[in-house]
Amino acid sequence: MAENNGIKRRDFLKFLAVGSVAAGGLRLARWTSASQTGGSSPYKWAMVIDQEKCSGCGQCTLACRAHNDVSPDISWNQVIDAGQVGDKKSFLPRPCMHCEEAPCVNACMVGASYHRADGIVMMDYDKCIGCRYCEVACPYGARAFNWESFDGPNPAVPDWGSPEVERRPRGVVEKCSFCYQRIDRGLTMGLKPGIDEEATPACVVTCPMGARKFGDLNDPESEVSQLINNNPYFRLREDLGTSPRVYYLPPREEVTG
Amino acid sequence: MISIRRFKLQPLHFWIGFLLIVLAAGAVAYGIVLVKGLSVTNLSDVVPWGLWITIDLSAIALSAGAFTLCAVVYLLGLKQYEPVARTATFIGLIGYTMAMLTLLLDIGRPDRFWHALVYWNTHSLLWEVSMCLTLYLCVLALETAPIIGRTDWMQSRFPWIANKMTSIHHFAPILAIFGLGLSMLHQSSLGATYGVLQARPIWYKPGLSVMFMFSAIVGGPALTVLVTKVSGRLTPYAKVDDSLLDRITLFIGWGLVGYIYFRFWDAFSVSYTYEPGRSESLGMLTSGPLAFNFLVGEMLLGAIVPAILLLVPRFRKSWTAQIVALTLIVAGVVAFRWDVNMSGLLIILTYLPQEITAVYTTYFPSVIEIISGLGVIAYGALAITIGVRYLNLIDHPITRMERVEEPVPVAGTD
Repeated sequence: MAENNGIKRRDFLKFLAVGSVAAGGLRLARWTSASQTGGSSPYKWAMVIDQEKCSGCGQCTLACRAHNDVSPDISWNQVIDAGQVGDKKSFLPRPCMHCEEAPCVNACMVGASYHRADGIVMMDYDKCIGCRYCEVACPYGARAFNWESFDGPNPAVPDWGSPEVERRPRGVVEKCSFCYQRIDRGLTMGLKPGIDEEATPACVVTCPMGARKFGDLNDPESEVSQLINNNPYFRLREDLGTSPRVYYLPPREEVTG
Repeated sequence: MISIRRFKLQPLHFWIGFLLIVLAAGAVAYGIVLVKGLSVTNLSDVVPWGLWITIDLSAIALSAGAFTLCAVVYLLGLKQYEPVARTATFIGLIGYTMAMLTLLLDIGRPDRFWHALVYWNTHSLLWEVSMCLTLYLCVLALETAPIIGRTDWMQSRFPWIANKMTSIHHFAPILAIFGLGLSMLHQSSLGATYGVLQARPIWYKPGLSVMFMFSAIVGGPALTVLVTKVSGRLTPYAKVDDSLLDRITLFIGWGLVGYIYFRFWDAFSVSYTYEPGRSESLGMLTSGPLAFNFLVGEMLLGAIVPAILLLVPRFRKSWTAQIVALTLIVAGVVAFRWDVNMSGLLIILTYLPQEITAVYTTYFPSVIEIISGLGVIAYGALAITIGVRYLNLIDHPITRMERVEEPVPVAGTD
């Protein structure tokens, strides 16, 4: 055993040194990654959906598909039947909630789901490894996995236009992005998201009933701030503490009987 | 093998042949999954994890004999268990490679497996698990290196490398510390992977981490002893000291008693009142589609029966009873992982504000999932078989046996 002691100490130190260098190297590799939670932004984007106005037509889903090149198997933006209120059918359009405390962002092991400074929960499709932990973690079912590759023309895309973002490959999880591409491009053009159509999410622009509003919660004059301040609203599963950035105005008809 | 000696078919060859056939079928299925993607599975956006994750979790849990026994030998200083720890380490290495193979199959972009190591989200339980898995696989490889270095084949062909590999043995205590730390981290974190999610109410509790850890400490050594005991009967290449193993099975028996206690409270400590999602999931375990697996497979056969078989001296003396008990424990650990995964995933909670209701869904693995899963298991069984046959994996000092042997009454003719 005497001879072992000499070897042990020296080699143990070597072992440690190699280990820390390796760990440090991996750490460095992380800094090279572009997409990360953090930074600061003057904006805090939010969406308000008025259930009273929604007629369940599904235009939002269609516009979403066309602008984001979403496969027919997947829906970023479902319109869910929410039963009867009074004598009217009620609907609940459900995009990604862009939660302030997003379970998917914490769950994602590679940081492919991350928060932008303006609050949008983003997907880095080049990082995603397709483990689907985020799908398991999301309480809203807002995420969809690309089980198959989506080839060929998208039936939702009309002849006169083309999608604004790249199609996702097979094997990654995708979801609604609040049409970040429209917001970002609009801002560089000096437009105001929520007011100028060019800078507003496609589903908001297309809604024939005007049931969807989009805007900046940091701006007290914005339509979304005004709606939230002056109306009763709810968010989905507030009990979970996820703090969604999609607000709903409930149907306001009186329930008879 | 390729000598001019007369080749005689032995049961071993049939066993290896059988495993090779399953392995080949599995490899074909594996290839199909890689080429065609996960659409060939029965997984969906509501049940994204299924059979493979169960195999993956079970392989990791059942490999826990490695860190448990290495800690017993090198940290608690119970040197007599060293030969058993050797076997456990090799089984651990194979188990973790099985887990890696299954994970590779399960992720949508296998070509990006390395992202888990390069892009870090330190908040993610799965990030922590993948780091631990990778580091612990390295520890296991180092711990197994002396076993390979000591083989005649290595000694005669590459004596220099063989000696280097063997000398890693001096680091066994340090490796045992790393192994213990890494294993305790990821065995628990695999439970927490489920336990931190509020979206599936049955999972959302701190107990899952403890249960995953506890069942691994019981199940891991159980598999090691099972493999050792069966090999001891089947092949002269395994030299087994049963008295050594019997002390471990006694420990496993008492471990099971603790496990049953914890699992009881883990499963049934729920409120009297209805809780959306959790109540339905529990109902699934006690009277729904998972009831047989949970009540009979996991609790009765997986824990209670083997605890009795291992703790009542009359049964423990019997080799058969021990083998039955250990097999049931191993199956019980797998059943536990399946129940945890499925009880959460088969219930979907709606999020409509007026009515948070639970919706039931179903999942049964597709043929491709099953065949590729069996392929991974066949790989594990084949690797362990080869280890036992060629790597001198099970080699207990037999002097201990001689002490136990009673003097044979001498027949008159001698």
